[in-house]
Amino acid sequence: MGELAVQAIGFGIVTAALIAIGAMGFTLQFGLTNVLNISYGGVMTAGAFAALLAEEAHLPVAIAVLSAIAAGALLTWLLGRTLFAFYARRGAGLFEMVMVTLAVSLILQYGIDAAAREQIYRFSFPQGASLHWGWFTVTVTQLALVAVAAVVFAGIEVLLRGTRLGKALRAMADQPRLARTCGIPTGKIVNVVWLLSGALAGLAGLAYVINSLTIDASVGTEFLPLVLAAAILGRAGSTRGALLAALLLGLVTEEVSALGGAAYATVAGFGILAIVLATRPAALAGQAAAKPEITV
Amino acid sequence: MKKSIHLALTVSGVLALAACASSGSGSGSSSGPVGLVQVAAYTGDQAFEAQFADSIDFPAIYAVNKAGGILGRQVSLIQMDTKSDPADALTAMDKTLATNGNVSGILGPDSTSAATLVPLLDSKHLPMMIAAGEAAYDRSAYSYLWRDVPPDPANGEAIALWAKRQGYTRVATVFGTDAGSQGDLPGVVTGVKAVSIALVDQENLTPDQPSYRSAAQRLLAAKPQAIITESDGPTAATFFGELTQLGSIVPIIGTSGTPSTSYFTPLRGAIGNANFSKYFRAVVVGNPVANPAVPAFNAAVLAVQAKLAKPVSQWENNSFSESGYDAVIVLALAMDAAKSTDGAVYNKFIMQVTSPGAGKQVVYTYAAGMAALAAGHQIQYIGASGPILFNSFHNSFGAQAVEEFPANAPAVVVGTISQAAVQALNG
Repeated sequence: MGELAVQAIGFGIVTAALIAIGAMGFTLQFGLTNVLNISYGGVMTAGAFAALLAEEAHLPVAIAVLSAIAAGALLTWLLGRTLFAFYARRGAGLFEMVMVTLAVSLILQYGIDAAAREQIYRFSFPQGASLHWGWFTVTVTQLALVAVAAVVFAGIEVLLRGTRLGKALRAMADQPRLARTCGIPTGKIVNVVWLLSGALAGLAGLAYVINSLTIDASVGTEFLPLVLAAAILGRAGSTRGALLAALLLGLVTEEVSALGGAAYATVAGFGILAIVLATRPAALAGQAAAKPEITV
Repeated sequence: MKKSIHLALTVSGVLALAACASSGSGSGSSSGPVGLVQVAAYTGDQAFEAQFADSIDFPAIYAVNKAGGILGRQVSLIQMDTKSDPADALTAMDKTLATNGNVSGILGPDSTSAATLVPLLDSKHLPMMIAAGEAAYDRSAYSYLWRDVPPDPANGEAIALWAKRQGYTRVATVFGTDAGSQGDLPGVVTGVKAVSIALVDQENLTPDQPSYRSAAQRLLAAKPQAIITESDGPTAATFFGELTQLGSIVPIIGTSGTPSTSYFTPLRGAIGNANFSKYFRAVVVGNPVANPAVPAFNAAVLAVQAKLAKPVSQWENNSFSESGYDAVIVLALAMDAAKSTDGAVYNKFIMQVTSPGAGKQVVYTYAAGMAALAAGHQIQYIGASGPILFNSFHNSFGAQAVEEFPANAPAVVVGTISQAAVQALNG
């Protein structure tokens, strides 16, 4: 039992890495635009399928990764600057925008499903050797996924806290009207956020299918609840919070799976979310109440 | 004012037509195509059923129509999507019956929708060939319910018998928590205990999670000699892929719900073709038989291959597809024998065209059955799945086959579990 619990820590970190990549992208965009973007799941799927196409064309692994990132970035940017901006200009509120993104999510999912002929495909990304350190077992690719999550986190932190762009982005997220008044190029900032968030969505979709080894049109929407949970648990807009929340969710789900049974793992993960929201409702409501303006 | 009256009359007319359409359902019309409704999940998380349904419907309807149809009328297929949800299935069935006045029989319901649809269809006097394996239908009081596949527990018990025959003394189970995957689990647990095999670990997996590593690790720690399993394909791929990464793979025995492209493709990718061919076996419903019905079935499959999931070889000699194909042929022959497409009339002829009897002419194809009936003979249809011997509860249990699945080749039968053996297990 003790051995299983220790092993689950390693597994939890890998699962956390998968969740964190998506959650950081989601929270970055949500923090700035205030759009609870349900279509993020569909974008994750699109990114994963872009990588699959590259893989099936026997292109190098790096090209497959770049395809996922590029597809996610481009699709999200297009959606944000055209469709979401259109509805925002027409006065859509927070709830209406959620409905718009939900509709887009369904269109993406079923569109991809039709294009993929409703099939499940195997995703034969090289897994690398299994490495054994004491009780821990992990593949080279899983280690790489953890490293990617760490690099993404570090990169966003440097961007947000060490660059003018990042400072402008944080200013916009806190006080959008004031930021505009001060001459911050809001359009450019929003473009960057849509692109960055989309790139991370594509990368998260790829990371998910690398781990699950299969891909179909619903992978992103199935993964989205965990990503959303981490983003909300970590407080919208906070990449540090998203990372910590992803770690918590990853560890709890794997520990419960190891000690209590796999069927209870997801229940435990969302149980934590429910408890946190019940005891600290500001994690969800605070952001929206203080800053209801949509910035797209 | 004139415009308003016109509109009111139009609306009244439409409502009246709709009412007529509703009231006309359930008995089958006397002209035009004979409608058979396939109840299956064409969308949603059980959508893998669709390709199974296609592998049954298209060959069977092709065979019937090629022989001249039922009572001179062609058969039309009406695909009803349950959307993998029992409530959606009920709404969809209401709509299907309201908008199709020619429905004469039902292919299904499936496990997901049986609880909601069977009472409705029975009340409408629509004979149904159910594909639901639930034990609840072993001794059903529904007059219009028929089943020519073994119930789920029987499949689970056959798996346990196969495991015993292989000499395993320690096995583990890995099942998805979705309703479609859970059906065989009770039979497996009962059967494993009955043959004195230790069940060392039970893993129930919530489908479509990013990882099952902890569950895989716990299973490895229990050191099973074989794993008995059913889940959706992606879940199986993730679990067994991680199991392979963590340790060594052991023989896997799948239920009758596992053999399909949507299960095999991801699993082959996850554990590798060589491992899959070496370690994976499935115990499937239907007894592999050699009779003239089998080549007729395979010929029908090839004739409609453009409509079936690729590779088409997976459907040739496929025991599950053969059972479903036989079910369609039986319905059609019963209508011919009754000289009616009205379910209330032809329902009792289902038993008549399948049961043996002195002086009955044995037929193996729809064309032969139709010709024999036209010549005034009584018939016993023996299908591609073998004799169909319905008991008083309209259940026909046959033997079950153990199959292995070489890459790019049809399934190979490596053993059979007789119905007698399964019944003996139940005492």
